[in-house]
Amino acid sequence: MNNPKAIIEGLIFMAGEEGLTKEQIHSLMDDLSNEEINTLLKSIEEEYQKDSKGFELAQYASRYKFITKEFVYPYGEKLFEQFKKATLSQAALETLAIIAYRQPITRVEIEEVRGVNCEMMLKKLQVRGLIEAKDHLDTIGKPLLYQVTDEFLDAFELENLSELPSLETKEVQEELFAQIKEE
Amino acid sequence: MEFQISIDQFEGPLDLMLHLIKTNKLDLFDLDMNVLASQYIAYITQMKEMQLEIASEYLSELAGLIEYKSRKLLPRNEAVIEEEYEEDQRQKLVARLIEYQKYKEASSFLKIKYEDRQRQFTREPSSLIEEWSKPKDEKIGKGQSVHELSKAFERVLHRLALLQPYQTQVTIREMSVDERVEQIERKLSNYKKGTVFSFRALCEDCTSIHMVIMTFLAILDMIHDRKMTYRIEEGDHIYVTKEARS
Repeated sequence: MNNPKAIIEGLIFMAGEEGLTKEQIHSLMDDLSNEEINTLLKSIEEEYQKDSKGFELAQYASRYKFITKEFVYPYGEKLFEQFKKATLSQAALETLAIIAYRQPITRVEIEEVRGVNCEMMLKKLQVRGLIEAKDHLDTIGKPLLYQVTDEFLDAFELENLSELPSLETKEVQEELFAQIKEE
Repeated sequence: MEFQISIDQFEGPLDLMLHLIKTNKLDLFDLDMNVLASQYIAYITQMKEMQLEIASEYLSELAGLIEYKSRKLLPRNEAVIEEEYEEDQRQKLVARLIEYQKYKEASSFLKIKYEDRQRQFTREPSSLIEEWSKPKDEKIGKGQSVHELSKAFERVLHRLALLQPYQTQVTIREMSVDERVEQIERKLSNYKKGTVFSFRALCEDCTSIHMVIMTFLAILDMIHDRKMTYRIEEGDHIYVTKEARS
């Protein structure tokens, strides 16, 4: 192999939005060790971080892919006048947050937290591919269990769910301290 | 107090309550239920006067708060129990509000991330990839759920139904799963360990849906007894591999 780094770069380019996992790269280039692949990916990532490059190497849901730099966006907006900017409503974001933090979770559990009916919202999010219902909870009525998809991780720039910030709010901590003091 | 806001801007009764707590400078952790209840009731009443449609969720919370208030007005004979009830109601509501607020805050983090990601683009996979790709040899049993197996079976049945759309058959003899297991084992006994069969091939001698089902159940049995392993390839083709014990 003349230049493994360039080959990996090319492979990631080819894979496009689907991206490539380390395992996939490894299976294609089995004379490279995992460590070597890590080093090469790191070096590609650093190289593309430079401002002289128009795209960068992202890693969402364990998949490496090239995405355009943020500073390209305003120009792209001009190029394609009708850039469809997909938005998510506050209700959608709240529902996704609850699923992401508590998955797998049933519709009833989500509704308990939000205090409103979520049936339509869950259907919409499923159509957008951000959540999926894979299994059933083993209880009366066998309710569906919802969880987020890899597309969700990509849409929110996450490598995995552990990157979500901790839910504990400051106030809760303060309250805990107050309780301790009282005691 | 005048309300200048419409109910549409709230995501539900809990969101409205958090808003009322904030505007009335109430302490969520030491919640004055009376003030909250009065404000909430006033708000909903005003919405009604303006003849706005109010989602049922708001009304069910309203009912809860009215119940809370009316209990306080009634003369108390069993004071202790009543107080426990109040504390219980209050704690439950506070717990729900705190829980809801946590996710509301988390959703603003997601919002920022989502908007950032929307400004960065990627491309579709190289256009010729479809033509190059050949079926991959997936590792046996890895990452495949029973659910997928049952889905694949559904497709097989569907295909069978398409193949014989109007045929009716009178089956005199119903076959049991055990019989089918024996038949398959006899068939497999000529082959050595590790030989791969497709589910279709095993169904070759099937004359009815009943037999296909029995074949499927027999395979499940044999997988369970570790007489064979299975894998599913693209297009939902089921393959089974003969193991040592059959």
